[in-house]
Amino acid sequence: MIDANALTIDHGRGGHAVRAVDGIGFCLEKGRSLAFIGPSGCGKTSILFAIAGLLSPSAGSVRVGGQPVTGPRREIALILQNAGLLPWKTVWQNANLSLLLAGEYPGHHAGPILDELGLGSVRDRFPAELSEGMKRRVGIARALSTAPEALLMDEPLASLDTLTRERIQDLFLTLWRERRFSLILVTHDIEEAAFLGQEIVVLTERPAKVKATVPNEEMGSLDYRQSEGFRRTAARLREVLEQ
Amino acid sequence: MKQIVTYATSLVILLVLWQAASLVVNAIYPSTPLPGPYQAFSQVVKNFQELQRHFLASAARLLVAMLISLALAVPLGLLIGHERTLDRFVSPMIYITYPIPQVAFILFLFLLFGTGNATKVAIVALVLFFQILVSAQGAARNLSPEHLTSVRSAGATRWQVYRHVVFPAALPSILTSVRVSIGMGMAFLYIAETTARLGTGLGMYIKSRMLVSRDSAFAGIVAMAILGLFLYVAIDVVEHILCRWKYTGSRSR
Repeated sequence: MIDANALTIDHGRGGHAVRAVDGIGFCLEKGRSLAFIGPSGCGKTSILFAIAGLLSPSAGSVRVGGQPVTGPRREIALILQNAGLLPWKTVWQNANLSLLLAGEYPGHHAGPILDELGLGSVRDRFPAELSEGMKRRVGIARALSTAPEALLMDEPLASLDTLTRERIQDLFLTLWRERRFSLILVTHDIEEAAFLGQEIVVLTERPAKVKATVPNEEMGSLDYRQSEGFRRTAARLREVLEQ
Repeated sequence: MKQIVTYATSLVILLVLWQAASLVVNAIYPSTPLPGPYQAFSQVVKNFQELQRHFLASAARLLVAMLISLALAVPLGLLIGHERTLDRFVSPMIYITYPIPQVAFILFLFLLFGTGNATKVAIVALVLFFQILVSAQGAARNLSPEHLTSVRSAGATRWQVYRHVVFPAALPSILTSVRVSIGMGMAFLYIAETTARLGTGLGMYIKSRMLVSRDSAFAGIVAMAILGLFLYVAIDVVEHILCRWKYTGSRSR
């Protein structure tokens, strides 16, 4: 379980501090998915970084499995906007990086997940040689290589064309259903939030506060995009965002 | 193959220009003739063994100086560039000392280390040190935040951040700075070798021949050019091996 209580994050110190997140609370049960949606630059990423242990809250708390977050932890994986691949490492080295840093490589390696994601044949390529969609899949392979309990995603599909984006959203959904990890997604894309979030938290402009929480329990199937429920959730999100 | 043709063409053009310059100088200043490529290269062949000895002495000094400056400047530059507190304290020191022409220390170094190899290596290492230090520092300061977050979120230790992000990201800049400073390093080596009264090295060879046999002095200059070219190519090869990722394009889409 991941939960936050009155989570407040300031950037900078003293008189120069700028509030990014202002008293946010949420609770995510194991295996469920939660999406944060809000305007660009509203502080969404800061929430994710606090859960990942990369930022310390100025006030309030964020806990994973009941324990306060004090730093990055193995059971939580983060996928960044542009997949966060290191250009000087091959697909194989990038996918195995988390395992290597944790001292588990080569005993464990990302071979099976690379094969599952159709990347087995490009193991020796560098990121610059891959299409954008392939880069995102390498990022997913790296994140899932450690079999995390929770996957945090920071606008993981920004700057992708519509078809590639939908294909990778489908992949996220399939992997989430198969592997039952908890999923936290940060996005500014209404349809992405409606497709991947079981519960969607709408945030205000910076500093981010909770504007509304929209339930979306019907999600979970690949054809959800064509359903009435999806359209309803998307319309509701649009309405709240425009308020 | 294409590159070899380009290099060969450039070489031919250079030789033609050199020959032309030689003809012009010899016509205007007949008492101070400028040897042409043929004279210089025939002296290279004639004095091959002696040239080889001096060539190897200079090459060894340059290589040792390069290794020493790399070993000192790379870790220091990366640390200063990446650790903000250190940057604040050490950078002003670098900015104050960097513009001092290192050659100004040459006499002091001769007094300190004597006229042997140590001084010659030290002066070249000093020049290269600052060039490499400044570029390693700059590269480590301008890392992509996403690359850092990417490894930190996976729990990387400080050492792992250096090993997987800071060093590989800065390596192309470091190698470029080495390449750029080869010319300067050779110039300083020449000064160091000619400042000593005796000894080996192409600088000494050229100096001792210039007044007595100009053709063979120019053979020494040709040898210096070959040494420089050899180092350039060597660094290119090292870069192609260590920074292979820079030379891969968008092969598949």
